[in-house]
Amino acid sequence: MNLQMEHVSVGVMILGALLVLVAMIGIVRFPDVFCRAHALGKGLTLGLMVLLFGLWLDPATEVSGLKVIAAIFFQFVTLPVASHLIARLSYEKNLPRVRRR
Amino acid sequence: MIELLLQIAFAILAAALLLGFYRLAKGPTVVDRILAFDAVVLCAVAMTALLSRWWQSVFYMELILIVSTLGFFGAVAFVLFLQRSLPYGGEEAEEADKEDKP
Repeated sequence: MNLQMEHVSVGVMILGALLVLVAMIGIVRFPDVFCRAHALGKGLTLGLMVLLFGLWLDPATEVSGLKVIAAIFFQFVTLPVASHLIARLSYEKNLPRVRRR
Repeated sequence: MIELLLQIAFAILAAALLLGFYRLAKGPTVVDRILAFDAVVLCAVAMTALLSRWWQSVFYMELILIVSTLGFFGAVAFVLFLQRSLPYGGEEAEEADKEDKP
């Protein structure tokens, strides 16, 4: 049972790492600041939350369960706030943005 | 088996970190660089979580909290500073103004 949980936790962590990679590809490939802030605020938040959830599932480190939940909550609160501040700054300063039809 | 999977996860996160450094070096505006720096710090946080899993240690949770806090407050401080000093339209507009005036 413990071995199964270890494999499940590592699989969930690899899923989170893949989500982080997808968010970073979005940050590189998207054309302007607003799209990049979107990739940061949604993709990286989900990736880090899934990765820390995989850490929480691990049976060897489960004594630190409440701290992992606090870290997940902290990511959930702060990352969208930073992304929103960045997008609002670039909207106020009228930074260049793409318009395509 | 588990170590191999953790190494794969480390490789994925290292690729994500390199992509973040690419955007940090290339970013057309300052705001892009702030965003890329925040993303790089969060990749480092994710690698710390993986390291904590690999070494079966619980002492890295404080490090995760502290480093993500530092990245967040760095981004907020940069944004609040640039709200006063960044010219309207970005740096390119200011440079164009300087070229027009003389």
